[in-house]
Amino acid sequence: MVMSATTDGGQRTLRRDGSFGYVAPGLLLIVFFFVVPVLMLLMRSVLEPAPGLQNYVELLGSTTYLRVFMNTFIVAGLVTVVSVLIGYPVAWLLAIMPDRWSRLVLAIIILSMWTNLLARTYAWMVLLQRTGVINKTLLSLGIIDKPLSLVNNLVGVTIGMTYIMLPFVILPLIGVLKSIDPAILRAAALCGANKRQCFARVLLPLSLPGLAAGALMVFVMSLGYYVTPALLGGTSNMMLAELVAQFVQSLVNWGMGGAAALVLLIVTLVLYAIQLKFFNPNRAR
Amino acid sequence: MTEPFLSIRSIRKTYGQVTAVKNVTMDVAEGEFMTFLGPSGSGKSTTLYILAGFQDPTDGDILLKGQSLLSTPSHKRNIGMVFQRYTLFPHLSVGENVAFPLRIRRASQVEIAERVKKALKLVRLEGFEERKPALMSGGQQQRVALARALIYNPPVLLMDEPLSALDKKLREEIQFEIRRIHQETGVTILYVTHDQEEALRLSDRIAVFSEGEIDQIGTGQELYANPATHFVAGFIGDSNFINAEVLSNEGGQARLSLSGGTVIDGVPVHAGKSGGKSVLLLLRPERLSLSTRPLDSGLVVTINDITFLGNNIEVTTHTGNGESLSVRLPFGHEAISSISRGDKAWLSFEPKSTHAFA
Amino acid sequence: MLLDFERLAGLRPFLIGLTVVVCLFLILPIVFIAALSFGSSQWLIFPPPSWTFKWYQTLFSDSRWLYSALTSLKIAAIVTVLSIVLGFLAALGLNRGSFMGREALRALFLTPMILPVVVLAVALYALFLQLGLAGTTIAFIVAHLLIALPFSIISIGNALEGFDKSIEDAAILCGASPWEARLRVTVPAVSHGIFAAAIFSFLASWDEVVLAIFMASPTLQTLPVKIWATLRQDLTPVIAAASTILIAFTILLMVLAALFRKGRKV
Repeated sequence: MVMSATTDGGQRTLRRDGSFGYVAPGLLLIVFFFVVPVLMLLMRSVLEPAPGLQNYVELLGSTTYLRVFMNTFIVAGLVTVVSVLIGYPVAWLLAIMPDRWSRLVLAIIILSMWTNLLARTYAWMVLLQRTGVINKTLLSLGIIDKPLSLVNNLVGVTIGMTYIMLPFVILPLIGVLKSIDPAILRAAALCGANKRQCFARVLLPLSLPGLAAGALMVFVMSLGYYVTPALLGGTSNMMLAELVAQFVQSLVNWGMGGAAALVLLIVTLVLYAIQLKFFNPNRAR
Repeated sequence: MTEPFLSIRSIRKTYGQVTAVKNVTMDVAEGEFMTFLGPSGSGKSTTLYILAGFQDPTDGDILLKGQSLLSTPSHKRNIGMVFQRYTLFPHLSVGENVAFPLRIRRASQVEIAERVKKALKLVRLEGFEERKPALMSGGQQQRVALARALIYNPPVLLMDEPLSALDKKLREEIQFEIRRIHQETGVTILYVTHDQEEALRLSDRIAVFSEGEIDQIGTGQELYANPATHFVAGFIGDSNFINAEVLSNEGGQARLSLSGGTVIDGVPVHAGKSGGKSVLLLLRPERLSLSTRPLDSGLVVTINDITFLGNNIEVTTHTGNGESLSVRLPFGHEAISSISRGDKAWLSFEPKSTHAFA
Repeated sequence: MLLDFERLAGLRPFLIGLTVVVCLFLILPIVFIAALSFGSSQWLIFPPPSWTFKWYQTLFSDSRWLYSALTSLKIAAIVTVLSIVLGFLAALGLNRGSFMGREALRALFLTPMILPVVVLAVALYALFLQLGLAGTTIAFIVAHLLIALPFSIISIGNALEGFDKSIEDAAILCGASPWEARLRVTVPAVSHGIFAAAIFSFLASWDEVVLAIFMASPTLQTLPVKIWATLRQDLTPVIAAASTILIAFTILLMVLAALFRKGRKV
């Protein structure tokens, strides 16, 4: 154990107060109902129906499941790109606009973030359906002449997920952009850089670590999403989380369910490890 | 022999390899104002925390009126404490903060009201009962903390650098208040500080801490006039040290040879860790006299700079082998008008008033 | 210049325009659902031919909807209390402890928040099937507590971070036992963190869908499960009514939180 060796005023870290005992109840909960069940599930993936790796062979070898993996990455990637493209300018404006207005926009963002996930997904199901407002508006404006199918496909999932993920891009980016000193950009302009050069050579590089961290977080969250893809996506573009649920709920195949869960778990953990290593906002840049 | 009021006996505290307190022993009389003075890391605060019960000593004992305190948990020791940081309970008003110890002790409403009023009067904050701590100045907060610590009449009051966060002027004002409160209440106070001026102003006795040990305990005057160690000599009052060599030593009175060949006799020598021939001679700047005429037994120096400091003048000088010495002369001293930078001068002093440390 | 609002020049209309569109994108679906819940059309035609309360009547006259709402409320309330108590203790230990692996432990506590919730749901479902607890209130509480606890630990931990432990020590020297000091001094001093923990924990449980789907039984469903099950069949406006109530609830909590924050500043 490392002891901090301050003698004066070091009583905080040195006092024996049985701090570990305080953590114990929570730790018991986490171990018994989080660590143990997840490990048990992973065990089942190599034990059922018979010991071996056949579940993983099947999961990673079949084109059906490979399509699910592809879909998952496509949706997550698409959602991330769209969220970043829309979110960055909004965060930019929020970081520099007068407080009075930014507070209103923030309230809207936070309200949408805290609104029940099902309520939001339901709203998009209604809005995007063939007879929904969007199709009817486009038809009456004469932009299209027959209803677009916007739901139960990639379009629907992407719209619904982007709606959910936008706040997760915007909110952290505001802080990142606020921490950049406007004088740096004034200096760049005085050095002769035009607007585009100022953006590409100064503002964007300075905000890139925060942007990358936010984008990676959105990507990881999207990978494991279940509810929105299940309701707005079609059967042909199933995502990994749905596959896990389906193995367990409809097929009662715990071996395959566990294997799919492990794949999802590993991808998530690896991406988080990357985030912590390269984009940790707590570390000095 | 009567039992000392508070007795700290051979306290030692180690954290793994690190020793914070080596061996601290002292007796404190009832009603005494005792200050622990020392640089940070000298073990003075750790000793205070051990008294408060926030840390247990590795060895040793603490007796209050003959009873060991160590087995009593902090909240039952009935000791008062004022902390370095502001520790008023942020959610309670000033009145409620001061009343807190009495509420814990389940005193009656009438008694609480009466004693809170008295305690706030003691720290001159009458009428502040309803104020929230966040709306008060640092000095006021520490006075409320003092009232809170005194309201249950603790036998001992601990103060851990309570004024270190305040600015100088305010600090002096509150030092005066603390002194008055000590006299009015007669409470025994153990006070930790690294500020020698504060220690000298407040204390009956001062314990000088250095590297986990007490170098010397005594009144301010004793520490100044008869420092027991090189460290105490350097920490209390202003000081110059120059190298000297012991020519002979009879019963602690030494004959020394200084740089430049000057020999002085009858200097008190304090044996140190190294028993060698070379010693450091303490020369207080205000006890040196300066002359522009050659002296037989003086130190020859060259003037570096002359600085006007208000009621006195500081003259910095250096000896032939580069040791620097500062001299403090009263304003209007005759020598001032006749010296300037680069001049030679002669310093003289009374050998008995100096000290040599081996 | 790019970070000076007044000097954005040509960029300003673009950024403002885009932000307005994004705001509409974020707020309109919510307004739309609220409006539809009062619309008379069974087929959710917008704008509705006429206005009505009949979907709310259907909702409130159906005991299954009411029962599921009560179940949600009960579970969320219990989870909130447990989350605050366990969260306070854990935050205290993580904040003050000097034991080994403290940082690793903090990470472990927060993991349920970042892992795909479907993995946790499936794993817990398997465990509860084996323990014979599947479809019970206990299963719901445990599952929801796992994802509510990180919110409590973060909120209360942040509040404790800003609380000087010397204040607690002062209370102890005033004669309060360590636990008395914590209850009478530390808890009130970090009450804003506890309040935030309560709101987050409540919402985490109240809004939880995925875990709830796996914990539910035909006889024990929370409101989101009931909505989910109904949604899978058709898009009835009754769901719009139920969603509107959920949204109103969220706004209420947000306003409450904002008022609380304002009250603290004075």
